[in-house]
Amino acid sequence: MIEFNQVSKNYFSLTALKDITLTIPQGEVVGLLGPNGAGKTTFIKLVAGLISPSSGKITATNHPARWPSVGFKPERLVFPGDLVVSQYLEMIAGLCNVGRVQKDNVVLESLARVNLLAAANKQIKTLSKGMRQRLGLAQALIGDPDLLLLDEPSSGLDPAGQEEMQTYIEELRAAGKTILMSSHQLHEVTRVCTYLIILKDGRVLYRSPVAEALTLRPHVAIQVDRPLDGAKPLLQMVHPNIVVEGSEVILRDEAISMRRQILSILINQGYDIVKVEQRRITLAEIYSEAVQ
Amino acid sequence: MIRRILILTGYFSKAVFFSLTGLILLILSLIYWAIFFPPGQGTPDVENYIILVGALGAGVTFMATLAVSSKAGRMENYPMLVRLPSRVEYLVAVLLSALLLGTILQFLVAGLALIRGPELTMARVLTIPPLWGSINLLAAVLAIHATDLVTAGWSRVILFGTLAVALILNSAAGSPDIWFSDRFNDLSNLFSRVNLLWFSDLAGNAAAWAFESPLTGLANVAGIIFWPFRAMTDAVFAGGFTPSQALAPAVLILYGAILFLVAATLFTSKDLDFLE
Repeated sequence: MIEFNQVSKNYFSLTALKDITLTIPQGEVVGLLGPNGAGKTTFIKLVAGLISPSSGKITATNHPARWPSVGFKPERLVFPGDLVVSQYLEMIAGLCNVGRVQKDNVVLESLARVNLLAAANKQIKTLSKGMRQRLGLAQALIGDPDLLLLDEPSSGLDPAGQEEMQTYIEELRAAGKTILMSSHQLHEVTRVCTYLIILKDGRVLYRSPVAEALTLRPHVAIQVDRPLDGAKPLLQMVHPNIVVEGSEVILRDEAISMRRQILSILINQGYDIVKVEQRRITLAEIYSEAVQ
Repeated sequence: MIRRILILTGYFSKAVFFSLTGLILLILSLIYWAIFFPPGQGTPDVENYIILVGALGAGVTFMATLAVSSKAGRMENYPMLVRLPSRVEYLVAVLLSALLLGTILQFLVAGLALIRGPELTMARVLTIPPLWGSINLLAAVLAIHATDLVTAGWSRVILFGTLAVALILNSAAGSPDIWFSDRFNDLSNLFSRVNLLWFSDLAGNAAAWAFESPLTGLANVAGIIFWPFRAMTDAVFAGGFTPSQALAPAVLILYGAILFLVAATLFTSKDLDFLE
């Protein structure tokens, strides 16, 4: 849908993004991960058209218009504070060419979707942070844009608010929306995103469909009742791919087929088996490996 | 497109008019009225009325443009801006809001100034809209170049620098050789009085050069650029436009259009880094 072709962005001597070539696929929820200053907001602003690349090209493919319609929830929750919530949303609806007749319904629907109907007649400056986050999402949804840009949608929300926000995004994913969101919360990305991009120092370190990434490196973990320091040499003699970490034995690749043998060694050594678990790589592991 | 522009115009106008800045603009306009049209003093001339209220319109429109641009350059407007198919719509809305505010305040003062003011004939009233309208438009477009919203790199320095040079050359129009030569001679005399003879000689040489230089041509060009202002002032004092003077407001609108085109080009190609 959106293609980045060797895109770089410089702010004077600072390189915010460098030689980015990738595609934001249609119908996917793309999660942008990376440490602070990695270039996530710059990436989102480029897609929003607020800034232009210093070099390279960003194009919209398979789209009838020159650029898809965009709904944008910025990271900073600043809105025109003197306006009433419904007034603000009506204005956004007007800018999205929503007809006068449908405008009221569109505003009510978007407020209902983010559970903000009760605040429809409140001034924006009186809203709490959580309500502002929801207002941010509500305004981005108006006009049914082709692409939703959510810059840290759950930032600053309490656990209940985060849960709510993730549920909204899951509903949008189910409705087939294309979403580009940045986040610092790995569990949020694991839960709602279908595609993953990890940025650091303006470069793409990793990109993959989330489901594919999480099927990588299957392994078996055997947990025993106490630290395995004494048994470590014996276990590693069986296969070099056996990793001992504290009271856990991790079997990777061919070592997985040796789990019965390992279990019997552990039992013979007098360890009690607490848990045997089949695992996949976690997003936290992917992230820390990529970033380090 | 028109609907989107009108929505944004309404939003910017309301936001600025009902803010502290709006109140300050209103107070400044009333102070201007009290100074130049004191109600107790009686009838000023029609010519003065047209020129003074026109000048107020230009000034207040300039300030209103700065205020609206400042409002438009805030981060809270990102979600609105990304909804527009073209950034030019945003800039047009800023310009229209500023013109609307400037015109409202100008009309307020124009109305107040008519209390015990001049009696305007219909023929005179009909000459006013092109005068005030074209000057307000030019003031708004010039002001927009002075704001962070539009400026890119050295654009405002170049624009206002060029304008300043053109104004200096214009003030010398007619006999620029003598005008510049006299200025350098004044400088030479000043240096010789404080015993800086080397600088005095330098200024003396510059005076001789100015007398022979091609400044006449440049000054004449500047004179042509500022012709619409002279033509409009002459028309006001003559009580009506001659056929050639009638073109002056149109020329000012053309200047405004060209400057707006430059502003739109700068605005559409610049990175928008709005303030919170």
